[in-house]
Amino acid sequence: MAAPLVLVVLAAVTVRAALYRSSLAVFIAERVEVASPLNAWKRVVEGLALLDLGVSPYSGAIFHETPLIIYLFHFLIEYAELVFMITDVLTAVALYLAIQDFNKVVFKKQKLLIELDKYAPDVAELIQTPMEMHYIPLKVALFYLLNPYTVMSCVAKSTCAINNSVIAFFILATIKGSAFLSAVFLALATYQSLYPLTLFAPALLYLLQRQFIPIKLKSKSFWLYTMQYTSLYLCSLVVIICLSFFLLNSWDFIPSVYGFILSVPDLTPNIGLFWYFFAEMFEHFSLFFVCVFQINVFFYTIPLAIKLKEHPMFFMFVQLAIISIFKSYPTVGDIALYMAFLPVWSHLYRFLRNIFILSCVLIFCSFLFPVLWHLWIYAGSANSNFYYAITLTFNIGQVSRVRQMKENRDSAKRG
Amino acid sequence: LLFCSWSVLWSGDDQAEQFLRSGHTNNWAVLVCTSRFWFNYRHVANTLSVYRSVKRLGIPDSHIVLMLADDMACNPRNPKPATVFSHKNMELNVYGDDVEVDYRSYEVTVENFLRVLTGRIPPSTPRSKRLLSDDRSNILIYMTGHGGNGFLKFQDSEEITNVELADAFEQMWQKRRYNELLFIIDTCQGASMYERFYSPNIMALASSQVGEDSLSHQPDLGIGVHLMDRYTFYVLEFLEEIHPASQTNMNDLFQVCPKSLCVSTPGHRTDLFQRDPQNVLITDFFGSVRKVEITTETLPLDRTWFPEEELATEPLKYAEQLPVAQIIHQKPKQKDWHPPGGFILGLWALIIMVFFKTYGIKHMKHVF
Repeated sequence: MAAPLVLVVLAAVTVRAALYRSSLAVFIAERVEVASPLNAWKRVVEGLALLDLGVSPYSGAIFHETPLIIYLFHFLIEYAELVFMITDVLTAVALYLAIQDFNKVVFKKQKLLIELDKYAPDVAELIQTPMEMHYIPLKVALFYLLNPYTVMSCVAKSTCAINNSVIAFFILATIKGSAFLSAVFLALATYQSLYPLTLFAPALLYLLQRQFIPIKLKSKSFWLYTMQYTSLYLCSLVVIICLSFFLLNSWDFIPSVYGFILSVPDLTPNIGLFWYFFAEMFEHFSLFFVCVFQINVFFYTIPLAIKLKEHPMFFMFVQLAIISIFKSYPTVGDIALYMAFLPVWSHLYRFLRNIFILSCVLIFCSFLFPVLWHLWIYAGSANSNFYYAITLTFNIGQVSRVRQMKENRDSAKRG
Repeated sequence: LLFCSWSVLWSGDDQAEQFLRSGHTNNWAVLVCTSRFWFNYRHVANTLSVYRSVKRLGIPDSHIVLMLADDMACNPRNPKPATVFSHKNMELNVYGDDVEVDYRSYEVTVENFLRVLTGRIPPSTPRSKRLLSDDRSNILIYMTGHGGNGFLKFQDSEEITNVELADAFEQMWQKRRYNELLFIIDTCQGASMYERFYSPNIMALASSQVGEDSLSHQPDLGIGVHLMDRYTFYVLEFLEEIHPASQTNMNDLFQVCPKSLCVSTPGHRTDLFQRDPQNVLITDFFGSVRKVEITTETLPLDRTWFPEEELATEPLKYAEQLPVAQIIHQKPKQKDWHPPGGFILGLWALIIMVFFKTYGIKHMKHVF
């Protein structure tokens, strides 16, 4: 499958290169849907310029990237476009390899269950044929690379692409079964934006499943493995944070990065739900509601872990979707990552009830974002409520899609 | 002979003294009425009567800053529109076609008043709203309204305190915005407003002492409100006798409105004033009377008065201002910051460790 992948990669790189050279690059880079205060390229440049002037980049409220990103771009800033294109390609390749391995496992499991007659007779449509499964990794790579969201995110040079790439490598490492690498990449992803912490649970479940360790609370091997994985993860996280300390010899980055993500001080409109609430809220209540909103991201992990413990990859997908909907500063780059996984469960599509409506909702909202932004900010004939309404609708569409897929999954498994 | 010489000396002294009576060259007046609402008609009438006198005695509108907090002449409750009477039975209309109100209605605020006094005014303010006085200006400041011990109420919503006023006058003194200042206030407990002054050359008069109320004069039954306050009524009567050449001095003004007529005890303060009030003419403040010396000699303008004009240097051409090499070969910006060596070492050591842990030592031989 190398050749079609290479073709897809070339096509993607061409599209991005063409867009970089066109005038759209500047326009896209400024859009709030694509660049958030956490990952805008302007801020990276600003931070590096501050560093050249001898000032800590975290001294203003502009730069919210981690020190490792500073290190990366200090040497690569002239080749920024190349870096982002290569990052996207690496993400796609990682996803491709990951899904390839995953499909092998799924196929084996499916074969086993068929032979054991575990499936009900009328579930024939749900069983994936080898032919379909052969093309799924390519579809995943395609979905990721040629997704307009990814392209826009790459053209805007948003560091979300780097985060996506780290998460993709984490998924690859998990599927390949290497607990050590998986812990390292998860630590890197958490280090950059706090929310991948919730991906710890699906990764653990997958690795346990791979090692054939049953998930029973009383089982000693379960706890042993969990402890091992947890300690690997925490140690790598601590090592990375300490290493970052040595870059600038200060702990400034912790309030600037993690404090910023958690306390949401910047209320620039984006496609998320935080800005509108906190813009309208009285100061007295903002701490409480910040806590409520942040807990919302982490809250679904445990119930989903209990419910989806046999399907950790699906759990990973749902968790990624939850992160990208409920995180404090979402951008379309986050959405692109979980959308890339949709072909993996393509056999469930015919059972999604409102697939047409949901897809239309998502496409319409994507087009309405810039329209209503223009009406609000430039024409002055709309107001923030319009833009907020569209973010609501968009997120409702996403949540509905995820919910639908989960319901279908459950109903399919039940038989 | 002695008597003659003595009288010549005396007249010379007198003449000199008369000539040096006041060092001012221009006069300004800031007249402020701080109350609004129809039942405070008398405050507007007070201010307008002082305005009328001051204008009659020669101060032009360009040198008068008139601040009226409400419009009585065109007030819907005024049975005689376009008039403001100061005497009952409508004897004297102090309003008219030539009344120029500079700050009207809601523009009369403490902030605006202090800005006018101190000159700290936004650049877009028109000239008619500015107090463009200099260090040779004599300024008359007249304020009327409702007041209390240490404050004067503006517009029924804010106050100016005597401390603020004293500081504003000190700012004026520091900025050389007045030569001499006469401050008249007609409010309840008015004397408290001049208690805190500490700048030189200020003379102050008030209509009542601390603890006393200033009372109004009779009401007019046709208009339905009190037309004037007692103190200003009698001051107005006093001023009607003054004309630009009169030699009446300030001591006479201090006697205006004794307790029998005014019910309250008017007060005055002259300790900050350098001249004797006896030598201060009413027209020094209320009128625009200047010392004019007519001379029939011709004064030649001497060329030595003006210094030699320096030879203008040749202006530099643009290209010569920067060295050409610097303009053409713009080097790219040097990156001044580099990550510390320890960090790079640590990071790459970690990466190599992870690599070998994952893929095993056997790949070492491929690396080297």
